[in-house]
Amino acid sequence: MATMAEPRPNVASAGNRLPAIQDYQQVDREIIGTLQPTLGWFAMLGTALLALLIGALSWTYQIHEGLGAAGYHPPVMWGVYIISFVFWVGIGHAGTLISAILYLFRAGFRTTIYRASEAMTVFAVMTAGLFPILHLGRPWKFFWLIPYPNWRLIWPNPKSPLVWDVFAILTYLTVSATFFYVGLVPDIAVLRDKETNPIRKRIFATLALGWRNSDTEWRHFTRAYLFLAAFATPLVLSVHSVVSFDFAMSLVPGWHATIFPPYFVAGAIFSGIGMVFTIIIPIRKFMKLEHYVTINDLDAAAKLCLFTSCVVGLAYLTEFQVAWMSGNRVEQEYFWNRVFGQWAWAAWIMLICNMVMPISLFSQKLRRNTTWLFILSIFINIGMWFERFVIVIPSLSHEFEPWQWGGYRPTWVDFGILIGSFGWFFMWFLLFIRQLPVMAISEIKEILPPKMKHAHAEAQAAVHGTIGHPITTDGGTH
Amino acid sequence: MQGVIAAFAELDSTVHAIEDLRKQNFKDISVFSPVPRHELEEAIAAPPSKVRIFTLVGGLCGVTFGYWIPIWISDYWPLVVGGKAIASWIPYTIIGFELMVLIGSLSTVFAMFALARIPRLTMTVGYDPRFSGGDFGVWVAAGPDRAPAATALLQKHGALEVRNER
Repeated sequence: MATMAEPRPNVASAGNRLPAIQDYQQVDREIIGTLQPTLGWFAMLGTALLALLIGALSWTYQIHEGLGAAGYHPPVMWGVYIISFVFWVGIGHAGTLISAILYLFRAGFRTTIYRASEAMTVFAVMTAGLFPILHLGRPWKFFWLIPYPNWRLIWPNPKSPLVWDVFAILTYLTVSATFFYVGLVPDIAVLRDKETNPIRKRIFATLALGWRNSDTEWRHFTRAYLFLAAFATPLVLSVHSVVSFDFAMSLVPGWHATIFPPYFVAGAIFSGIGMVFTIIIPIRKFMKLEHYVTINDLDAAAKLCLFTSCVVGLAYLTEFQVAWMSGNRVEQEYFWNRVFGQWAWAAWIMLICNMVMPISLFSQKLRRNTTWLFILSIFINIGMWFERFVIVIPSLSHEFEPWQWGGYRPTWVDFGILIGSFGWFFMWFLLFIRQLPVMAISEIKEILPPKMKHAHAEAQAAVHGTIGHPITTDGGTH
Repeated sequence: MQGVIAAFAELDSTVHAIEDLRKQNFKDISVFSPVPRHELEEAIAAPPSKVRIFTLVGGLCGVTFGYWIPIWISDYWPLVVGGKAIASWIPYTIIGFELMVLIGSLSTVFAMFALARIPRLTMTVGYDPRFSGGDFGVWVAAGPDRAPAATALLQKHGALEVRNER
């Protein structure tokens, strides 16, 4: 490297992805520096708590008054809660995609964004898990869905998609939280070693589990991390497939479609990447981490966003085509009603936000414009919530016979709980970003060239590819 | 356990020090590094991790358990509909798959903890906070007779600091 011209700050080259970062100490200093709470952070946390309070009060009112307080009205007996459940599960998909699937594919741009995405996943699934409970008339009996020996002598029906959901969501929550925590352990050890406050030091020491950075620990860690990624990869694809079965296993027009599992998985990843942009762009700006999450990383993530948008768009069009070619009048009328009838406003919000606006990402200039990416991500979040609205409501309100047709209007309780879910999610996320490193310290160090005594040896080794390549995916067997 | 601990700033010096220690027939060597590196692993020449066995066994137990629960429930509380199979394996594959992932993942993490000996209540000898920051550490077990030789060797390779620990 000694013979190469000094690279311009923040312009990646083949040999150096993070040129503005010089050494391991700088990584520790800058990432740990982000843990200081600011006034703006307190203001945002206060807003999130207020939103959560609105949600909690709305739920209290609903428990007191019964489920009729929400906008349920026959024939539409699934409403905002199921829409928001699918929305939040979907948000939870990008994190594991980025942390596990891109890990196996060795996509370099994942390193700096995966920790925030993973945290987003865990908190989004925690949020999603609340909605089926909120949707119950007697929410305190939710655990009846878990099959365990009991004196009620009642067992759930394992042929029901709702029971599959319980297994899928609980597995996903457990595995993604485990994956998240295991990845955090070496970073918490860094915090433990740098912390001066004795109480915080003790807390970090407990959370770090006595991690010592020894070769034995790293050897088993890298191997375990690889296997967790290998398990998480099919899990991501399965979870939203199972969520789609909640719809596709029924005979309701618009739901009874074999396209649903891949359509839902692509939509989930698309919405998740939208939310990644919504959170990572302010983080890199306000925490002054632009030289970590580089424009190249955002550009690569935007390409993934564009790709999944195209898949989702194709799925939308395929649905219309299948209805048209099916010769099934009920299906055809349903889709006509969706796009040109009663629910046209919602369907067009969905189509414009998810299919039309992301086309802008074909332009490299816009992919590298963080303001545009942030604005677009907000539209994607809105569009993906409306996608689930368009899936749930129009089908239930326009079934087979005209006497089954109806409308749907959410009440203030629905909106209160929806606002509360955002408060719940952002409360956890905001607490996370000021307590634990929002970027993976040890993985960022892995992509930095290590200090060498003999610069000549380093340059030679870099040419031969022997030195300068840390252990990442293969756990040290190659 | 008695031994010598050394801190190095550079990766190549650490690798050469470990290679020399092994040539001098020092058996019990540990390396501390802020990141996992192939060079260190090759120098130490440790056997491959056994985590994979736990992953396999955990996954197989999970998938077996995941099929067994719904089959047992269906037989215990049969829902006879239209002469269809009481226990139908196709939908139960979902539960089998989910529990394979769940138990396989948890046993992988358990294996990592057990094999790496964590959680650890005390940091024991041979650790320095700077090893999580930027420096590389080499710990070598050596009695009073061999400690001076180990110290000299580590210093020769440019250790920032060498100290005896017990």
